[in-house]
Amino acid sequence: MSKPLKKTHLYEFHKQRAKMTEFADFEMPIWYKGIIPEHKAVRNSVGMFDITHMGRALIIGAKSEAFLNYVTTNDVAALTPLGAHYSNMCNEHGGIKDDFVLSRLEEEKFLIVYNATNRTKDYEWLVKNAKPFNVKVEDVSDNIAMFAVQGPNAQKTLQKIADLDLDKIERFKCSWTKLAGLEGFVSRTGYTGEDGFEVFIWNTPLANPVNAVRVWKAILEAGEEFGIEPCGLGARDTLRLEAGMCLYGNDIDETTSPLEAGLGFVVKLKKDAFIGKEALTKQKTEGIKRKRVGLTMLEKGIPRSHYEVWKNGEKIGHVTSGTFSPVLEQGIAMAYVSVQYATEGNKVEVRVRDKLTEAQIVKFPFYDPAKYGYGRQK
Amino acid sequence: MRVLDCEIPDKLYYSKEHEWVMIEGKEAVVGITDYAQRQLHEIVYVEVQKVGANIEQSQTIGTVESVKAVSDIFAPVSGKISKVNEELAENPELLNQDPYCKGWLARINLKDFNKDLRELMTTQQYAEYIKGLEE
Repeated sequence: MSKPLKKTHLYEFHKQRAKMTEFADFEMPIWYKGIIPEHKAVRNSVGMFDITHMGRALIIGAKSEAFLNYVTTNDVAALTPLGAHYSNMCNEHGGIKDDFVLSRLEEEKFLIVYNATNRTKDYEWLVKNAKPFNVKVEDVSDNIAMFAVQGPNAQKTLQKIADLDLDKIERFKCSWTKLAGLEGFVSRTGYTGEDGFEVFIWNTPLANPVNAVRVWKAILEAGEEFGIEPCGLGARDTLRLEAGMCLYGNDIDETTSPLEAGLGFVVKLKKDAFIGKEALTKQKTEGIKRKRVGLTMLEKGIPRSHYEVWKNGEKIGHVTSGTFSPVLEQGIAMAYVSVQYATEGNKVEVRVRDKLTEAQIVKFPFYDPAKYGYGRQK
Repeated sequence: MRVLDCEIPDKLYYSKEHEWVMIEGKEAVVGITDYAQRQLHEIVYVEVQKVGANIEQSQTIGTVESVKAVSDIFAPVSGKISKVNEELAENPELLNQDPYCKGWLARINLKDFNKDLRELMTTQQYAEYIKGLEE
């Protein structure tokens, strides 16, 4: 017998309106209206995702900074209270155990939000490595509801139900605020490339979903004037792909290093010992052999995971995720290719079923950052 | 008739792979069913073999790509393609919007329809078939 799927607080809402799918042991919405309209709502105005399925843990103790500096690749000392950063955890070989966002709640208290697929693995890895540091790792995944409100109108939407002036929260900062009268926590982060917030409703066990449902509905109501759409995992995937962000299990895993994945900006080799440092230092000195690149299709066809990438009759790599870009209206992909070919503008071929189809290596994000994304011209 | 919110027109034949067949003399018009387009959702590319191609029942006649996935279309009958719906190249969403009319895929010059029939279902049979799939 297979295990029954896990549900989030919003299960009844999703079930009535969305096509559901299984993801990381959860039954989650894949789309409500459709991937394309939901995607466009986020790029052009605002959309909201239930991301309660993600893993969350608190790290508490006098040595929590030292512990996190040891177990993650980014510089945790650079985080001030209510600051957040994107980071990686690696194994001893420099392979990525997971990617995540780490927030410093207080001097000696951190919140880590990691991938749903890695909930058990990450928690166990943290607990195992925390022992010598005498810090507490507390899994709070099942006690917090989490939504992502994303898009150029995310702030205007959320402001209508938040006590705090959201202008005061810069990108990659977070803060406590009341939301629809309830205790909440917001972080100006996301997985879409757009401005937006991730909203945490604390102390909300699944058995008593009332508060989570109340905030979800309040946000939908607040966003109504902007045409807010509830969004499923389908649009979450197309949005992150267009933004050039990795999906764990597809684009990164324990066999890929942050340097190969183009995530070198979160690897601080100058800091003291951390797991994977030696392997990564060696890799940096010797040079990487393959690299994650963006591909846009120059012909019709949608590249998908595992499709081969060719150049001059030679296989040079493979696609790790691909989709139809609703903004560009063409096929886009992430692929690992031999480093000598990983140059922007280089033309390559993707084997779309039986046919070699022309594609071009491009930089991330795939969209024009002057027109879309958090840095767009106002 | 309507089953599971899907339209299943009378007087058509249906394959297990969710293609429909409309007989017009010695030719058949083929396409994908409402049930199929709902499963695929948001079709963005359609590719059908060229006019003149000889095809056998159950062989691949083309592919449809939705945002999420790619799927083969299997020929519900054997014969020679006499015409393909050129409009689908520009407007693949016709498959979602109007699968039985504007979203037709190809016309096929039939080889042996009596033989094809052994593998096809009537409206009623197809309705039962998709009900079975959802259970």
